[in-house]
Amino acid sequence: MGGPTWLTAIFAAASLAVAVYCTGRLVAARRWHRPTELDTDGAHVVMGVATAGMLVAGLRTLPSAIWEVVFAAAAAWFGYRMLQARRGAQPSPWRSSHPLPHLVECAAMVFMFLILPASVAAGATAGGMAVAMTATESRFSFLTLPLALFLFGYVVWLGDRVTLHAPALALATAPAGSGSPGSPGSPGPEPARPYLAPRCAAICKITMGITMGYMLILML
Amino acid sequence: MSESLAAGHAVARPAPGRAATADAAGIAALDPRRKLQLALGVIWVLDGILQYQPSMFTKSFPDMLAESAHGNPAVIATPITWSANLIDHHVVVLNTLFATIQLALGLGIAWRPTLRLALAASVAWSLAVWWLGEGFGGILAGTASPVNGAPGPVILYAILAVLLWPANRDPDAPSVAERVIGRRPAQAVWLVLWGSLAAFALLPASRAPGAISDTLSDGASGAPAWLAWIDTHAASALNHHGLAASIVLAILLALVAVAVYLPAPALRAAVVLAVVLAAALWLAQGMGALFTGMATDPQSGPLLALLALAFWPALSQPTLARAAAPAEEA
Repeated sequence: MGGPTWLTAIFAAASLAVAVYCTGRLVAARRWHRPTELDTDGAHVVMGVATAGMLVAGLRTLPSAIWEVVFAAAAAWFGYRMLQARRGAQPSPWRSSHPLPHLVECAAMVFMFLILPASVAAGATAGGMAVAMTATESRFSFLTLPLALFLFGYVVWLGDRVTLHAPALALATAPAGSGSPGSPGSPGPEPARPYLAPRCAAICKITMGITMGYMLILML
Repeated sequence: MSESLAAGHAVARPAPGRAATADAAGIAALDPRRKLQLALGVIWVLDGILQYQPSMFTKSFPDMLAESAHGNPAVIATPITWSANLIDHHVVVLNTLFATIQLALGLGIAWRPTLRLALAASVAWSLAVWWLGEGFGGILAGTASPVNGAPGPVILYAILAVLLWPANRDPDAPSVAERVIGRRPAQAVWLVLWGSLAAFALLPASRAPGAISDTLSDGASGAPAWLAWIDTHAASALNHHGLAASIVLAILLALVAVAVYLPAPALRAAVVLAVVLAAALWLAQGMGALFTGMATDPQSGPLLALLALAFWPALSQPTLARAAAPAEEA
């Protein structure tokens, strides 16, 4: 990417750490039957890998086109979840209760992959992403700043809540067959279990928000 | 963290029924002051990330700082030049430190246990940067103009930190700022700030025939096409009309300044006008040159708007209580 190599490497390491940690959350949630937002953690696993690849050329795994499809699908999922929430669907501790920020994150990923220069996207350069790409070169430059500001707003919003310690809704009993991987088709309500490491999950979201915001700012 | 987990304690002290509703929706009811604090936090986070831009790790950054010494008295300019030289010699380390401090200020404001510490630190940081990074906004150099960001964006962070401090000196005051520091001090801050902007608009740096149009043209350089179009057209429209434009701007700013002593409806109109002026100034500033890769902050426009919103006269607590009483009786 455009910044000093060590700085982009730090951001890449942070996003990979998020990916690894969220993978661990998915495994732990299944093993210990502790609620976690499966869709959010899953999205952060792929997001962490994809952003690391954008930041450091050596960490690229898949072509841009595939990532675009992956994040478009994820955006569609969170969009669907948002519609469900608006229709008053019962919230589940296993799904994101606030899908809008994740919808925007996925849309931002699609946006960033779309405006990457083709040579960089194909991995033809060694220096990482977006070295020559600025907003003035893109027809969609007006999106970059609002996306970055939204993500920073989300980061701050999460920061405001990270101190809160009343796991009210996630402690609520999960409805039967609500999608808990540990209790498929269980006949009655699952006993209340504490949400899996909520503050760590918030820190993951904050880390991803800052990293993606950094990438968007570099594209300004 | 599941946002749904965290609703209850974000509510200041709402009625039980309201808190339950907020919990159920998973949305914390933040009071207006907390919302403004979080908005300030967002701007600090943006500042921090802007400071991580590649150009900030080059000689361009200390050169930009050194420019602010020009025209200032020696007692002001010498420390600016000294600090710019110091940064020039250790630009990578110091810039990383600066960026991280600003990011930490933003996150510190967001995280409630460190709110006071972060606000206090932001005042100290802002005052230092106002001097060593912005040369007091060109006030002493005679180059201050509201169109180019006078009195210096960074001093606005300090003012906002004071106005949004978590205290209630006058709990019944209608606006956030007045509740925090008291009605008269808050009114004085508003009057001095907007009044000084009006005065700056009449200085030669603003009223010279090509002053405002030149600033607009500068804002267009490096900006994306849509913003460059706005600034270029505005610059050509105002070309050779600098005096008239600066007088109109000064009148509008003066109206905003005195409106703080008017009744609430007039003050609301003035706050709206202030936000509109802040947006216009921000566009004139090329949105703080955010698109050039050389911006260290979003310039004064967003901060002026935020500051104006801190003076929005909401209904006072007694008025709210009177309004609620008939409903309860019914």
